[in-house]
Amino acid sequence: MPMNSIYSAIKGLKDDGHRIIGCFPLYPPVELLHSMGLTPITLWGLRDRYRNVPLSDRHLQAYTCSVGRCLTEFVLRYGSETLDGIFMYNACDTLRNLPEILQNGLAEQSDSLPLLRLHIPTSPLSRPADAEYFRGRVRRLVRELEESFGTPFSIESFKKSVGLYRLQRELASRLQELVALGCISFNEFCRIMSAGNFLPVERHLEMLQNAGEQCDTSRDIGTDLPKIMISGILPPSPGITECIENAGLRVADNDIAMFKRAYSYTPPSATNPEDYYADLYSNHYPCTTILHTGDARVEVIRRSVREHDIRGFIFVGEKFCEYEYFETPYLRRVLEGEGVRMLCLDFSLEDDENIGSYRTRIESFADTLRP
Amino acid sequence: MSEMKERREGYNKNESGKRLSKIITNSYMSLHQKASEGAFVVWIAIVVPPELFAGFDNVVYAVPESHAAMSAGKGVGPLQCEKAEQMGYSTDLCSYARIDIGTAFDGGKDSPTFGLPKPNLLVSNNNNCSLLVKWFDVYHREWGVPHFILDVPFCYEKQNTEDLGYIVSQLKALIKTIEDLSGQRFDIDKAREAVKLSSEAYKEWRRFLSFASHRPSGITAFDSFVQMAAILTSRGTMELKEHFRLLADETARQIDSGIFPVPGEKFRLYWDGIAPWHQLRSMSSKLAEYGANITTASYTYCIGTTEGETDLFAFDGKDPFHFLARSQNFSVCPYGLALRGKAMREAVNKNSIDGIVFASNRSCKVYSLMQLDEMEGIKKDLDIPCIMVDVDHADVRKYSESNVFLRMEALLEMIESRR
Repeated sequence: MPMNSIYSAIKGLKDDGHRIIGCFPLYPPVELLHSMGLTPITLWGLRDRYRNVPLSDRHLQAYTCSVGRCLTEFVLRYGSETLDGIFMYNACDTLRNLPEILQNGLAEQSDSLPLLRLHIPTSPLSRPADAEYFRGRVRRLVRELEESFGTPFSIESFKKSVGLYRLQRELASRLQELVALGCISFNEFCRIMSAGNFLPVERHLEMLQNAGEQCDTSRDIGTDLPKIMISGILPPSPGITECIENAGLRVADNDIAMFKRAYSYTPPSATNPEDYYADLYSNHYPCTTILHTGDARVEVIRRSVREHDIRGFIFVGEKFCEYEYFETPYLRRVLEGEGVRMLCLDFSLEDDENIGSYRTRIESFADTLRP
Repeated sequence: MSEMKERREGYNKNESGKRLSKIITNSYMSLHQKASEGAFVVWIAIVVPPELFAGFDNVVYAVPESHAAMSAGKGVGPLQCEKAEQMGYSTDLCSYARIDIGTAFDGGKDSPTFGLPKPNLLVSNNNNCSLLVKWFDVYHREWGVPHFILDVPFCYEKQNTEDLGYIVSQLKALIKTIEDLSGQRFDIDKAREAVKLSSEAYKEWRRFLSFASHRPSGITAFDSFVQMAAILTSRGTMELKEHFRLLADETARQIDSGIFPVPGEKFRLYWDGIAPWHQLRSMSSKLAEYGANITTASYTYCIGTTEGETDLFAFDGKDPFHFLARSQNFSVCPYGLALRGKAMREAVNKNSIDGIVFASNRSCKVYSLMQLDEMEGIKKDLDIPCIMVDVDHADVRKYSESNVFLRMEALLEMIESRR
């Protein structure tokens, strides 16, 4: 979706009466926000939509990752025109530094937005004291949402919202399976999944259901294409994804924070939000930003490589994301042990326009995977 | 008089400097010796409270960040960084981490301390930065060493009681972890005594820092950068308390005798950022030639306080867990813009600062990302000149003296033009 489309879509929702809460990535508690009558949108996946970020550049140095810079640009550019509030949690060192910067930046424009925060512990909450602390934080967030937006919390509403997002995650998983079978392109999968960041979940469910139903199960892009996994915080831009698929590679699985890491796990029960989120964040699909899951991440990738007969691994590096880059050398060795080659691509702002050099590297990589 | 003639301007090694060298050397030698004799070795992130280890009979600790800083100061930073980079670690990662990883996986070769003894336990925290957790995970995976993550919530406001209680419970869980792994029992009275000694050491530290308010300043921030090394190796010891007491006494005597690091001090500056370890001597000397003294630095001025404060936070002698948890966020990076701005304004006013240098450090986003806003706020509220320079605290390959001093000179001209 081009930026003006994203802007129009969100503005349209707001004009229709939706109360939009702009969430910092990666894994905000969307179910809770939705149950309180809000429409959560997650502010990432904007890199290929911005050529430059002048408002952000007044506040953030160029060595900030594009996720942080683009999020800042969006909030400062559109502020209360598109949003009714902002939610953040301690996802990473960069994002935790942003709330006051955004508030200052908005104030300069005589704008302001309520800001809600949640501290998510870095432990798996196996210690009772840690779990009780986190439950207290979630209960406090519920109170703050009630005070900020005037909607009382309802367990029935929460369970309904959980049901919607559970279905969204299930449909997303099935869509990835269809990609692995070659029934739908990874490019199309990325387009559909990325759109979900800026749509009400109900509309995204329609998109996912339609995509699954309309998928051409007779499509065969070649069962002998080398299978790869794509990993990173964000998906590659459409141009890069096209290069990958045009190079004759089939994306058999992904380890992308916006995609599989986000949709792979939903707690089985939702008796109350504090227990639900304690479960969700403790048992979350491994991610480099969920600090206690480092060991588990290597194992899930290894399992996927074996299950899907993956021969190649493309790391889509979000430049300046230490969380990803600290794990890459070890991951490379593990993959080499499985006979899997790794290609590392770095992306920062504007890099998505430089398709030529990436195409060359992707095509060379594809050549190495062919028997 | 002859002493004054022999003194170079800027940083000079005095009695306290010589004593510090002995403390550091002995600390590392003792660490290696005890480790070789079977002590339980813990690697900690800089803010993890080592006073707790004093509650055990035979637990020793190493601080990889401190070792990396020393390596950078001794000129082996790039060499160690390259080793890590050849292993596949990105040049965009923190230079402390690259130095440490390069050292660790080359068996301590080229390290000024023969590296660090292998750990039995890794204890990181995420309040200074979460990157430390990822860094320590590298060793956890390679060596199979258990990794305890201390989760300390970031402070946008003063620490609240729920967060305090949460940190206390984790400190106690850490104690239990060490007991289970080492077979040793924890003695809270010994830990309490260590906390008391640290608190008393910080009191003397802040007395030393207070001489920056003198005109001319009795210290440079470079003195404080160097002297903070003792805090990293010797928290909780009488040795540290005595060293800082003597340091403060020596500084007081020098002031009384008319001995100042920059006698012709014309410009009093504030440094916001980690110390540029590879430039301590040259930067201080070069600045002194201009009559400029970086008298105060946020990196060291925060030691012994709590988030956003500049006064000593003293231990009341009661619950060491409470004190340690309460003071977990003293070190600038764990707190937000408003609190940083408060502390900076207080320091600037207390020490009669003429201009501020914001050291934008690509190896340390947690320190750097708020600086543009901080700088604008300070300029607006205090109307004093500020500049931003690009540095890397430990990788000299990313530092350009000419670029930095071009801006420094501009800062001094701005200050001069307002007089």
